[in-house]
Amino acid sequence: MIRLKSMFTGIVIATTSLISTNFAIAADYPPHTINMVAPAGAGGGWDLTIRTVAKTLKDTGLVDANMPVVNRPGGGGAVNLSYMQTQSGKGDLISVYSPPILLTNLTGLTQYSYQDTTPLARLITDYAAFVVPENSKYKTIKEVMNALKQDPKSVKIGGTSAAGSMDHIQFLLVAKAAGVENLRNIDYVSFQNGSLIAQALGGHVDLISTGLGDVAGLVESGKLHALAQTADKRIGTGLIAEIPTVKEQGIDVIFENWRGLFGPKDMPKEAVAYWHDALQKMVATPEWKAALKRNGWDDAYQDEQAFTEFLADTNTQYKTLIKSVFGR
Amino acid sequence: MDILSSLMDGFSVALQPYYLFLILVGGILGTVIGMLPGLGPATGVAILLPMTFSMGPTASLITMMGVYIGAMFGGSRSSILINTPGDGAALAATFDGYPMAMKGRAESALAISAIASLIGGTIAAVLMTLMAEPVAGLAIKFGPAEYCLLMVAALSMTVSMSKGNMLKGFLSMCIGLAISTVGIDGQSGLQRFTFGVLELQTGIDFLVVIIGIYALGEVFKSFSTLGEGGKKAQTKFKKIWISKDDWKRSKWPILRSAPVGFIIGALPGAGGTMASLMCYNNEKQLSKNKEEFGHGAIEGLAAPESANNAASIGAMIPMLSLGVPGSGTTAVMMGALLMLGIQPGPLLFAQHPDTAWGLIASMFVANVILAIVNLPLAGVLVRLLAIPPKVLYPIVLSLAFVGCYAISASVVDFYILIILGVAGVLMARLDIPTSPMILAAIVGGQMEQSFRQGYRISNQDLSAFMDSGIAQGLLLVTVLSVLLPLINTIRSKMVNKPA
Repeated sequence: MIRLKSMFTGIVIATTSLISTNFAIAADYPPHTINMVAPAGAGGGWDLTIRTVAKTLKDTGLVDANMPVVNRPGGGGAVNLSYMQTQSGKGDLISVYSPPILLTNLTGLTQYSYQDTTPLARLITDYAAFVVPENSKYKTIKEVMNALKQDPKSVKIGGTSAAGSMDHIQFLLVAKAAGVENLRNIDYVSFQNGSLIAQALGGHVDLISTGLGDVAGLVESGKLHALAQTADKRIGTGLIAEIPTVKEQGIDVIFENWRGLFGPKDMPKEAVAYWHDALQKMVATPEWKAALKRNGWDDAYQDEQAFTEFLADTNTQYKTLIKSVFGR
Repeated sequence: MDILSSLMDGFSVALQPYYLFLILVGGILGTVIGMLPGLGPATGVAILLPMTFSMGPTASLITMMGVYIGAMFGGSRSSILINTPGDGAALAATFDGYPMAMKGRAESALAISAIASLIGGTIAAVLMTLMAEPVAGLAIKFGPAEYCLLMVAALSMTVSMSKGNMLKGFLSMCIGLAISTVGIDGQSGLQRFTFGVLELQTGIDFLVVIIGIYALGEVFKSFSTLGEGGKKAQTKFKKIWISKDDWKRSKWPILRSAPVGFIIGALPGAGGTMASLMCYNNEKQLSKNKEEFGHGAIEGLAAPESANNAASIGAMIPMLSLGVPGSGTTAVMMGALLMLGIQPGPLLFAQHPDTAWGLIASMFVANVILAIVNLPLAGVLVRLLAIPPKVLYPIVLSLAFVGCYAISASVVDFYILIILGVAGVLMARLDIPTSPMILAAIVGGQMEQSFRQGYRISNQDLSAFMDSGIAQGLLLVTVLSVLLPLINTIRSKMVNKPA
């Protein structure tokens, strides 16, 4: 008897929840629950971004729906990207991504690209920083590039991500703009165990290519010396503001480690319009501005149209580079 | 004198009732999280992170410290009682801890584990107070070449320790190395052995290997006897304490292992797993009763337990004095510090002395509190052994799967887990030791990557691997670890010959 009863309750709950989701998508947006997905484990940059977005939208009352954060890690975001293909046409899933959504596709790790999603908005950005130990013989990024022009093996570049991923590509973009040839011969060394900064402190690599946010503290303490960053203007305050841009040193390129939100492919029109509205309002709230400041993020808001154009341009830029370096 | 007065200031923070309470709550939470396979200190601290925003930096850090050390205490509970390490660092506790429990000595095992953890942790906290700076300096001397040789030394020690048969140990190691090559290769960005499965791109987590081989393997092994109802391991329980003789045997192993664990823990990326396995092997090498190791030798449990807690404190050094996180957990802690507006690194002690010294003092306090909490807790936990296998094993199975899912949220790992469980049974049948395989799965990836990093940085010059004194020392250890057992065997043959 008890078993029958609980089975019945289960069926009722299952049916009502099924009906409610279907109904919500057909009739009005937002639905009762919108899954906010971080395509990586808890604790990383993607995770922090989507949690901050969900919290800000909830606290400010801009989105009246449950927004549980789901972690779907694997394959540098590719596992979630595959999953999103099974959700196409739906409106109850929002995921955060950054340049790897382009890079994993261009280097052949996944067949899906940003074109298999619905870009919703670009929100924030960090920049690349090129950092040397305090006693390094290189004082400017120009000197590094000149050394590489002489001998591409003379400067060993360290980074956290795998070869062909962000830390590698951001350096090569700058090297290419500086006129270094034979990009393929530059030695990039990947330190994925979290020891990258220690390797730089110990002088085991000549230069590390990383995020400005990751080395800010060490640069302030004077143990590491930042040669350049890749924004189009000076960033931050104090010693961080003293880091020159690569542009100032005559290398005409910028690199942005942006983060933005994406829905599944063919997201319903009313859902896209809803998020356009909600996110545009969100980036103007004091809560969001406080979150930017707290996390050291730079505001980089673009709405869905501008973001889609930006993605197309950036994708072409990376594609040319990856083709010339890796031949794939 | 300066350090002493700063530390006293730290204690005046950490001993306030509010902070004591936080350490206690954090410690108990951490112990529970640490016991569950797959959930380690990093997860525990990450879960707590949002709560700490409202508490202020000192309170938040002290709570996290409680969770961190609690998880280190808790990790080995499940190693001893159900042969399933809570995390990598508790792996070595299964080698002799579980056999002790099976022999009806679970009380002594749980007691020595808590005592060794307390002593190891306290010695490390003293070392940390006195020598944080020089140890941090030593840690950054480890470049790719030194990392590579450290891994080689650890592996060769484990293989050469393999009971009786070095060849079988070598075979086991090769399986582990093969597992460690799955995934995207960092240096080339290419996929290896992923067979088009996206989930395999990030590789096979070594915790999945551990849970598969140990937890599932143990359950599968018992299938043949389960039909007979299975016997309870133990029904009567004594007090959780150790005998005088136990203490005499464990004293030196505990004291020796703490500094070794501390230094290995301070190397970014090496961590408690390496530290505890190396100290286990050390003790086995030094011990007069080698043959008892693996069958419930108390020093074989005391040494890794001491090393593992010492390593967890050593891992704080790169974070506090260099601003470089040395492990997954300290990375999460560092993230929390940054969010609270505190920059870890060389300036921490100058800019936020109360937080920094409060944290160090809380290491001492947390170790003591957790030892006190863990002894009565062990008295409850030990009754797990009274649960008949046909009830206990389904629980172990579900814990194994939940823990596995908690690591990567991927169903693909379930299949890997089951395959490894079967492999665990087969290896036991064929008498192939599993520890070389596990260690190879843990360090293999990093050993290979370090080798290729060093090779690339030195422009393909192998002699770079012998340049530094540290590298030469590690090479010597490797050579000795292979030669010593060999010499011992030859010597014993010569002795036996006349007879």
